[in-house]
Amino acid sequence: MEKLQRRVDEVRASRSELDNHLIDELVTGRISRREFIRRGTVLGMSMGVLGFLAAACGGSSTPGTTGTSAAGAVKKGGTMTVGIIAPSAAVNPLTVADEGGLAVLGQAGEYLTWSDEKLNLQPVLAESWSPNADGSVWTFKIRQGVTFNNGQPLKAEDVAQTFKTHSDTKGGSSALSAFAGVLKPAGVQVVDDQTVAFNLDAPNGNFPYLVSSDNYNTVILPANYDYAGKYEQSFLGTGPWKMTSFKTGSEVAYAKNPSYWQSGSPFLDTVTLKFYADEQPRVLALQGKQLDVVSQFSASTGQPLFNNPSVKVLELRSVAHRQVHMRTDKEPFTDKRVRQAIGLVLDRPALVQGLLNGKGDVGNDSPFAPVFPSTDTSVPQRTKDVEKAKQLLAEAGKSSFTVTLATWNGYEIPLLAQTIKEAVQQVGGTVNLSVTNPSTYYGSAVFGKSPWLDSTMGITDYGHRGVPNVFLSAPLTSAGPWNSAHFKNPDYDGLVKQYVAAIDVQAQKAAAKKIEELLLDESPVLFPYFHFHMSGTQTNVAGVEPTAMGHIRLTKAGFSA
Amino acid sequence: MGRFVVRRVGLAVLTLWLLATIVFVGVHVLPGDVGRRILGPFAAPEAVATLNHQLGADRPLAVQYWDWLSTAVRGDLGESLSFRVPVSSLLGPAVLNSLKLALVAFLLVVPLGILGGIAAGLSRGRAVDRLVTVGGLSATVVPEFVSSIVVILVFAVQLRWLPVTAQAPAGSGPGTQLRYLILPAIPLVFVLFGYIARITRAGMVEALDADYTRTAVLKGISQRTVIVRHVLRNALLPTIAVVATQTGYLIGGLVVIEFIFNYQGLGQLTFQAAQKLDFPLLQGTVMVMGIVFLVTTLVADIGYSLLNPRIRYGSTE
Amino acid sequence: MSAVEEVSAELDAGRSRQGRRAVRGERWRVLRRSPTFLAGAVIVGSWVVCAAFGGLIETHSPFAVDVLHRFARPSSSNWFGTDELGRDVFSRVVEGARGILVVAPLATAIGTVAGTAIGLVTGYYRGVVDDVLMRVVDAFLAVPAVVLGLLALVALGPSNLTVVVVIGIVFTPIIARTVRAAVLAERELEYVQAARLRNERAPYVMFVEILPNVTAPILVEFTVRLGYAIFTLATLSFLGLGIQPPAPDWGVTIFNNYVYLTGGVWWPTLFPAIAIASLVVGVNLVSDALTQVFER
Repeated sequence: MEKLQRRVDEVRASRSELDNHLIDELVTGRISRREFIRRGTVLGMSMGVLGFLAAACGGSSTPGTTGTSAAGAVKKGGTMTVGIIAPSAAVNPLTVADEGGLAVLGQAGEYLTWSDEKLNLQPVLAESWSPNADGSVWTFKIRQGVTFNNGQPLKAEDVAQTFKTHSDTKGGSSALSAFAGVLKPAGVQVVDDQTVAFNLDAPNGNFPYLVSSDNYNTVILPANYDYAGKYEQSFLGTGPWKMTSFKTGSEVAYAKNPSYWQSGSPFLDTVTLKFYADEQPRVLALQGKQLDVVSQFSASTGQPLFNNPSVKVLELRSVAHRQVHMRTDKEPFTDKRVRQAIGLVLDRPALVQGLLNGKGDVGNDSPFAPVFPSTDTSVPQRTKDVEKAKQLLAEAGKSSFTVTLATWNGYEIPLLAQTIKEAVQQVGGTVNLSVTNPSTYYGSAVFGKSPWLDSTMGITDYGHRGVPNVFLSAPLTSAGPWNSAHFKNPDYDGLVKQYVAAIDVQAQKAAAKKIEELLLDESPVLFPYFHFHMSGTQTNVAGVEPTAMGHIRLTKAGFSA
Repeated sequence: MGRFVVRRVGLAVLTLWLLATIVFVGVHVLPGDVGRRILGPFAAPEAVATLNHQLGADRPLAVQYWDWLSTAVRGDLGESLSFRVPVSSLLGPAVLNSLKLALVAFLLVVPLGILGGIAAGLSRGRAVDRLVTVGGLSATVVPEFVSSIVVILVFAVQLRWLPVTAQAPAGSGPGTQLRYLILPAIPLVFVLFGYIARITRAGMVEALDADYTRTAVLKGISQRTVIVRHVLRNALLPTIAVVATQTGYLIGGLVVIEFIFNYQGLGQLTFQAAQKLDFPLLQGTVMVMGIVFLVTTLVADIGYSLLNPRIRYGSTE
Repeated sequence: MSAVEEVSAELDAGRSRQGRRAVRGERWRVLRRSPTFLAGAVIVGSWVVCAAFGGLIETHSPFAVDVLHRFARPSSSNWFGTDELGRDVFSRVVEGARGILVVAPLATAIGTVAGTAIGLVTGYYRGVVDDVLMRVVDAFLAVPAVVLGLLALVALGPSNLTVVVVIGIVFTPIIARTVRAAVLAERELEYVQAARLRNERAPYVMFVEILPNVTAPILVEFTVRLGYAIFTLATLSFLGLGIQPPAPDWGVTIFNNYVYLTGGVWWPTLFPAIAIASLVVGVNLVSDALTQVFER
């Protein structure tokens, strides 16, 4: 016991103030072992250290989800066929904005860190990282001995230039909106051959997620790379796979990269990603044994795969959701009691059961999904209460009203819209539906030219992120570009700043609690549920690592021995 | 004949130019821009502006139109705005795929339809006739997406006789490719069988009632010999009719079947190009469809008039 | 059918207005006796009744969600079973008739009116007007109907109004062609020459003299196109571009429910498919009967 304690003390002595603060939290039982490990990875502590400390000092642990197929005994060699969504445009790290494109980017390309299915950050091209005292400067140590698949060695300049390009307002990168207000090109600094520092616009406790696989455009490329050139011809990158052939709209084939820095990986010899324009043919192809792996299907399309002994379904708890907005500056939603009432007419568990086949988490009208460690779960869950809703409406003088709900016709979204319509009818409101297609609903995606941002009521689909930062800012802060509810609340803006700047879990949770309560009170938007991310494989496949983002990592994939 | 063909070709070129202009106006007059479609709603407006500039989508309309037209007449269809590869490199495989599927469908449905029509005509009014006519009609009204799904479920998923998608792996021989194309061809057989059988039947009925048949029979030639002699002519007419009216549909109109079978044909490519406001690609696909239509109607008209000299050329105009 | 032949012979003969009236009466009598027409009329009529009096026929509300009873098999309480939200499929099929029976005929009517106008003008004037307009018509004809509809709807954004207009435009070219052919034949006849000799103005000749004599092929064409319109509408709905929710359109229902076929849930897909098929069959039977009666 003594020896163990001495060992722990030794480790603690070598760690920073912040790290020790986190260890204190673990020791006093204020955070669970799982939260400790996750937060520790964000702060840049290695898994080895974290594992040791968790075992030595940790309290309870929460079981994670079985998101990846267990990497049991896997044969070396072989070739695997994976069905993915067809990339919707040319595959170019600057312009990729869809799940298909990002899945392709993540094979030959690599990121500084990898955001995995447990929302932990794993080191990839960054060996380690740490923040300064207030989290306004994050310093990353770049892995040595890595080469691009054309032989060029990876240097700190390459990393720096990659991020300068993506944060440049004239760079034309799809990732620009992620860096807005966080990082400018001038803030990216090459400290030395092996180190890059990010000087942020403001303290940010979750910054490492912005340079992870979550920010899927930021595959690391050489400093002299010409982004206007044809990425599809070279697929330059440091990853485990080298492109052997690419057919637009059809498929991309890879062979294992012999000079990959992680020796012994990957296990397979070749991998082919086949493109499918729609879910149904993908799922049918898995059933018909034409594919080994199928990435991403929804609960309704995947119905025949659940409880099917000849396939394995990999379920990931995700924070992807459908956001229902109500314009706080337009009738009938100017009075927050009306907005609260709408939130109270929904039977959320029934929605998860009915619309998602049970494959989802109930939402509590804030971006804080149950799966985020920083979520304060003590805030009471909003449940269906029709009487209260009628009462609130009467108090607000809106016992009957008419409103048009705009959205688009994909996945279960029209069903959600119809369910909302039915539910609101019970309390005297009339909802007229305007269900179009994505191009019409999103329009030009700027205020004044987009039903998404202009409609009085609407449903928007948001994809997964490793941390709630983006969901807290862009759709809900006063100057947010995605603020379809036109919600302008200075208290809220201040709380978001607090959350973003908070580095330790307790401070994050404290800010989260206030935000959750504020949003429940104001209810500018509703989060009815968060739906799971599902993939499938044949029963003889192991080691496939999907993420709720849409990545599908095949480094450790193979056929069971 | 020569003057007829020249006139028709001239008119065809004019029609194609009109089609191109209509598509250009349609794409550019309506709201939305390419950059936004590619980068999605969540990208920063600055990024969208940069991309639009790179793609040349922010140039004046007249400039864009002239630019496209002047290169297109030289055979260069430009670069796809969303996929950033030459339009011809996308069109080629798509058209080839559509042609293969159309060919397999033809090979299946034309003989079946003709045989059905002959049988129906010969047994006019009786059981076989009713079967073919009613059966043909019922098959035609089954929506393609329904028959496609049923066919996949039964033959590909349950019985595992045939593959689920239509795209054979790269480098497969004709035999394998054929195997992959049988399932998607079946809904097409459903759609076209009734039509072909009906035309053949009508031709058979006409032939059976015709004076020359009666005369030949009176002269001692068996009815069967007369029919056989005229079957070829009767069979060619429906074939030409199908080519004339259905090729356009078979090459470009199979959006739903291509969708369900994940087949990269011309219909799918057009749909995607439209959704992304990818003007060069969309123009390319529409031009191909236009050319297919105009060529097949011309060939059909020539065929008709060769077969039946009583019909003047250009009577289908 | 000798009655039909008789009538056809009379058609060839009488072209004057008095003659036309008598012929119309005769045609109607023949139609009423034709089994094809009757069968088709019964089918279409049943769906019209569903569309008009759906409320009385439906057993449940087509929109009532009942998540606890999703995917119930067809039974005495739910004749066609329930769908993924527990809604009664029978009631949704009945309710869905209204949408398609309003949109499809309306769209076809628009196409017929526009096509007739173009056909009359090009057939009568010929010459340059004919050449130019027919080239535009050809340009539209060159693209398959579904693709044309899809292009327009992707660009304009689907709404019930745009769907009606787009399908109407899609069918205008082919109707224009048919009408033009009929007009070309008519204008050579004596009564037209007589009218022109009387110095009647062109619109008078077109609409008062010629048009009534070409209503027969126009009517036939209308019913033929109606069948295609129903089809095209279902296909566009399947692609997400047709009639929009919450209307329980048959094409949309199939689109939403065909994913469940692989799991053995066939009823929410099969019954709407049969509905589409039966309606198209009914319309085709009616148009077949009309073709036989009006055929020269």
